[in-house]
Amino acid sequence: MDHAFKPYPFTARRYEAALPTLRDGADSKRHAVAIVGGGPVGLAVALGLANHGIASVVIEADDSVCFGSRAICISRRSLEIMERLGALRAFLDKGLPWSGGRSFYRDAQVLHFSMPNDENQKLPPMVNLAQYHIEQFLLDAAERRSDLIDIRWQTRMTALDARDDGVTLGLSTPKGDYTLGADWLVAADGGRSAAREALGLQLQGTSYEGRYVIVDIAMDSARPTERLAYFDPPSNPGSTVLVHKQPDGVWRIDYQLRDGEDPDEAVKPENVIPRVRNLLENMGESPDWSPIWITVYKANALTLQKYRHGRVLFAGDAAHLVPIFGVRGANSGIDDADNLAWKLAFVVRGLASERLLDSYSDERVAAAHENLSHGTKSTEFMSPPSFAFELMRHAALGLAVQHPAVRSLINPRQTSAIAYTASPLNWAPERSAEFDAGPQPGAVLPECPVRILQSGQARNGHVTDLLGLWFTLLHFTDEGVLPEDLVALEREMTKDGVPFKVAVLSRREGSPATAPSGWDHTGRLFPLYGAAPGSTYLVRPDGHVMARWRTAARAEIVAAVRHALHA
Amino acid sequence: MTDSDLDAVYTQLCKTMTDIGEADASLFLARFALLAVTELGDPALARRLIGEAAAFKSASSPPIASGVPS
Repeated sequence: MDHAFKPYPFTARRYEAALPTLRDGADSKRHAVAIVGGGPVGLAVALGLANHGIASVVIEADDSVCFGSRAICISRRSLEIMERLGALRAFLDKGLPWSGGRSFYRDAQVLHFSMPNDENQKLPPMVNLAQYHIEQFLLDAAERRSDLIDIRWQTRMTALDARDDGVTLGLSTPKGDYTLGADWLVAADGGRSAAREALGLQLQGTSYEGRYVIVDIAMDSARPTERLAYFDPPSNPGSTVLVHKQPDGVWRIDYQLRDGEDPDEAVKPENVIPRVRNLLENMGESPDWSPIWITVYKANALTLQKYRHGRVLFAGDAAHLVPIFGVRGANSGIDDADNLAWKLAFVVRGLASERLLDSYSDERVAAAHENLSHGTKSTEFMSPPSFAFELMRHAALGLAVQHPAVRSLINPRQTSAIAYTASPLNWAPERSAEFDAGPQPGAVLPECPVRILQSGQARNGHVTDLLGLWFTLLHFTDEGVLPEDLVALEREMTKDGVPFKVAVLSRREGSPATAPSGWDHTGRLFPLYGAAPGSTYLVRPDGHVMARWRTAARAEIVAAVRHALHA
Repeated sequence: MTDSDLDAVYTQLCKTMTDIGEADASLFLARFALLAVTELGDPALARRLIGEAAAFKSASSPPIASGVPS
């Protein structure tokens, strides 16, 4: 069987370059926000801003969504964000959900892991789909918001002049060059970020030498979706191989190069195909498969020290490069976008001081360090950087067959939602400490089913469904009756232009009239949040807790919100 | 010992051994084994662990592939 290449089962739409109305070689319109990079992160920022009514212009060098095999695993946290961005349905319709995986050492299974997935969850812990799907679904959502999102295809940023009050971009297109002025620039232009280069910034950290070949193949198989890892398999002795199922009969295979192997030689089909054939034979798969795409990957663990540089905000791979192992690349970029969008929107709308954007940098740099520390450990296991890591891994894998106690060392440390425990926005830690359970300031809300009553309609939903584009006050009650002073608080905040809403949670089925409500019909919500009637959580638009009180005083809630907006 | 404790100790072992170098790695591991045995304070347990660690003769040769030494 000669294994001729097949194309991806996906055809990207091509877009022409377009010039805006120009005045003296410049875009005649000054933009509030320009976003350089139309990948998952740039599009997610644009959609997040559009949710808040903020227009943006997206500068994209290519003429279509991406090609090839890049990010393939989208986490539960990212799916939550996709729901905010109006793209969730497409992700769930196309993506393959999964919740665990198995690792093998030679012939023996040494680990069967599961990601957290209980009956409280609304979304699967992970779905697999190709990055062209990820970008396409975000692009579809962006095109539905074309009133607020202006995508400039085939437009390359060739110059960046960053000042205290904004930026001027030099742009080049096949139809001519022009400049564009904006108050803010979001740099989401990827690992080789031109914006980063223009500002003379450098990523810091570690680059690893070990390389992996990435192969996408077309193959029909009823095998379930899970993460498969083979260490030193009989099919490829001495190598490490990862296998993931993607939609539409595409399978992604990653394998480690041998020591000293030339990467240019290694990616040649005549060297790749025999190894894949051996692997599939060993897995008991049919010989009927075709290669689609081959590339080589080298792990990096790098970040900028700050993501805000005056009017320029870095996000995604432009800000940090995390190793592939643990799927923290695209997922951390999407989290960046979700953190940045509401803050930038609030600043542009004049609701918050620019300092709110420093909290974006503080929180997401801390998140990157956490992602890097997990990613580094995974990389040290998957691609041992010295004889000692190699030797210890060999020992751990061998012992794991008989000794469950060492199996956690093999766990791939898949991405999970990160808590901003040191965030400058967190408020009243001493009041939070009075709880004996539930999410602390900086953490995301744990999911839980509730019976939602909103605008006279009742439906089964989840507690995060009560959040919105505003600060949400989740007030726990016995029967769903909202205290008069919280009703007055919402009115006051709204009058002052602060995006703020109260939602009420009840232990018993109540009949509230003044606010959206969730009835804890399973009885699991109150204990999960360490809540009693009177407990109150203040939640940010990105779903992170800002403060919580066993009994809330109005003045303290006002102080927490004021601190976030004007500290 | 939590999973992350084990993880941290594992990484420290790897890094220390990397610094010591391949030539002296066996001696380092032997010293570590002796120290661990004296801390165990349980000869029967120590003998059992020696037996279990030895039960991997078929898996004695290290895999061929590795990263480049750092």
